[in-house]
Amino acid sequence: MHIPYTTDVRPDTGLTNPKLGIWLFLASEVMLFGSLFSAYALLRSGSTSWPDQSAVLSVPFATLNTVILISSSITMVLAWVAAKAGELRRFRLFMGLTLVLGAAFMVVKAIEYNDKFSHGLLPSTDNFLGLYFTMTGVHAIHVLVGMVVNAYLLWPGSAMFRSDSVRFTNRVEIAGIYWHFVDVVWIFLFPVLYLL
Amino acid sequence: MHVRGYIGIFGALLVLTLVTVGVSYLQLPTAPTIALGLAIATAKATLVILFFMHLKGERPMVYWPLALTMFLFAALFVSILWAEMDHITL
Repeated sequence: MHIPYTTDVRPDTGLTNPKLGIWLFLASEVMLFGSLFSAYALLRSGSTSWPDQSAVLSVPFATLNTVILISSSITMVLAWVAAKAGELRRFRLFMGLTLVLGAAFMVVKAIEYNDKFSHGLLPSTDNFLGLYFTMTGVHAIHVLVGMVVNAYLLWPGSAMFRSDSVRFTNRVEIAGIYWHFVDVVWIFLFPVLYLL
Repeated sequence: MHVRGYIGIFGALLVLTLVTVGVSYLQLPTAPTIALGLAIATAKATLVILFFMHLKGERPMVYWPLALTMFLFAALFVSILWAEMDHITL
């Protein structure tokens, strides 16, 4: 079965279908996270008291996670550069690094969550923690999904590197655009939840 | 963009991350803290979106839906706060 416009651009849009598709999908994701950020703004400005966020949460852990995700974005870009240049081993190296960094992010998040739970701090405790667990939880699910896609491209999917390298490179680019978006969301989550 | 350019963007992102954390230690009043924190985050996001996501030099067919999205997000954000103006203090 031939899927059209995965390497050729459509005459009317000037884009490949996946390229337009991923941006439209990210547009819907902006509304998802945007509604959560709006909820944060509403609940915080409507509250009589709000906890000192940097005292409840761990700024060092979150800073580490920010560096981890930004690093995973650069490794993701370099994975695409390698795929484009036809260098399979280098692609595998950088995609593997991206996966490792994604896993590291999840481990730090697990440590953070566990630390909160062990002190009896739950989503039900107050509005701030409800928002914190919801927003970082939804974000973490997005990280996990991205990792599944990246793992597919690293192992079974990389067979297409030899059979149809242009189409495979485009897949890596699209997965990269999604991964960078996950990074962008964290770039906003970090100051809003930890530092403000 | 060449690899060197991407590494440069990466360096800028790391610097801006340190700036974000550093600014938070200044203990400014609430409004400037929010404004500054979001401004730096927007700068970092812009770098990722323009260069890592290849949005710089993309076609109008991508720009227009995104412009609509940003407008709708702003409308969502504002209208939620506006609806509750009597009960909140900004």
